[in-house]
Amino acid sequence: MRWILALALALAAGLGSLYGLTGGFTVLTAEAARRQDVARHPRAIPAAEVLAEDGRVLDLGQDLRRDGRVAIVNFFYTRCLSLCLAQGSLTERLQQAIEARGLRDRIRLISISFDARDRAPDLARYAARMGATPGVWQFLSFTRPAQRDAALDLFGITVVPAPLGEFEHNAAFHVVTPDGRLARIFDLDDPGLALSAAESLSAPPTKGAR
Amino acid sequence: MKNPGRLAWFWWIAALACLGLAVGPRAPLTALMSLHMLVQIPLLVLAGLFAEQAWRAGRPSQDPAPGARPRPAWSYNEYGVPGLLLVSLVGAGWMVPKALDDALTDWRVAAFKYLGLPVCGWVLRASLRRSNVVIKLFFLGNFCWMSAIVGMIYLDQPVRLCNAYLQDDQDWSGRGLIALAIVLPSCWLLAELKPVWRFLNR
Repeated sequence: MRWILALALALAAGLGSLYGLTGGFTVLTAEAARRQDVARHPRAIPAAEVLAEDGRVLDLGQDLRRDGRVAIVNFFYTRCLSLCLAQGSLTERLQQAIEARGLRDRIRLISISFDARDRAPDLARYAARMGATPGVWQFLSFTRPAQRDAALDLFGITVVPAPLGEFEHNAAFHVVTPDGRLARIFDLDDPGLALSAAESLSAPPTKGAR
Repeated sequence: MKNPGRLAWFWWIAALACLGLAVGPRAPLTALMSLHMLVQIPLLVLAGLFAEQAWRAGRPSQDPAPGARPRPAWSYNEYGVPGLLLVSLVGAGWMVPKALDDALTDWRVAAFKYLGLPVCGWVLRASLRRSNVVIKLFFLGNFCWMSAIVGMIYLDQPVRLCNAYLQDDQDWSGRGLIALAIVLPSCWLLAELKPVWRFLNR
């Protein structure tokens, strides 16, 4: 009978660690785990000094809270030739949707560069190339490496240097509420979901709504 | 077998070499997904496996007399089935992409990798010693189809599964897992040709 006990223990230990690893058999990748964790426990954005495309220096957390709009945030670098361009054109379509549906006083877009080489002129050129409307879609770049790493860590963005001076990074739409919290993360394939989540999070609380 | 002391030393050195190779250059080994998954993790398992071999070689009088039919001890690890089950589940866990990402960011997963995998190697060797050819074939077959399928999924994915690793490298890991599913049973068959042949012809 001893070996049955051992078998049960082995099964419990093995399945238990698989359960822990996969968040209760719900996720297989770190990316899915990050999205699930943020949806369950929104994360407060830390203070980080950022440079805007017009040369102003802002504090990211403060700026998010002061603006009062829900922000859809994504991360990029201006020299990117692959993923960021796809992400950029999807964000451009989000901008069109925001303007067409008259949501520009409730939702805004922010693209933040994690590349230390990106200064204000690079951001401004990129904004022009993307057809960004000032006031709706803002471009920022981190100025301090330590704060950048802390912010990327909080958002759950992993940047891996790739050949030819490129970076590989996980990309998504991050919905940040006006109190400066990262509330939801949506796949690049679901810009519509990101927009409707941002819309419902920005809606003024109506009486009787639960 | 004439000199069990010397044999034990040989296996201890092999175990320490595997451990040293896996832990020493750990930054370059974890820089690529394929090296992490197909070199460092197997080395850690091999370290435990060789250590068990060394420990066994150091105490020779335990084996039954030559010619006597080896009787499985009435133990917790009868026929090695509980141990092989545990090792199979751990093997499955390390094929989950999240495990590789977490091993770089979560100290608990990293601790399990560096301490738990050698223990698993030890359990694997001790269990293989107690099991017979049918049980070995079952667990090996199970591991190999799992490895091949996971390899094909890695190779097939148009998106990155690990945030810390590049897409190209994911493809290489996929190819490596498929190769493992072919090489491992071939080696096993070569090593156990006699018992397999005996089993088929009885």
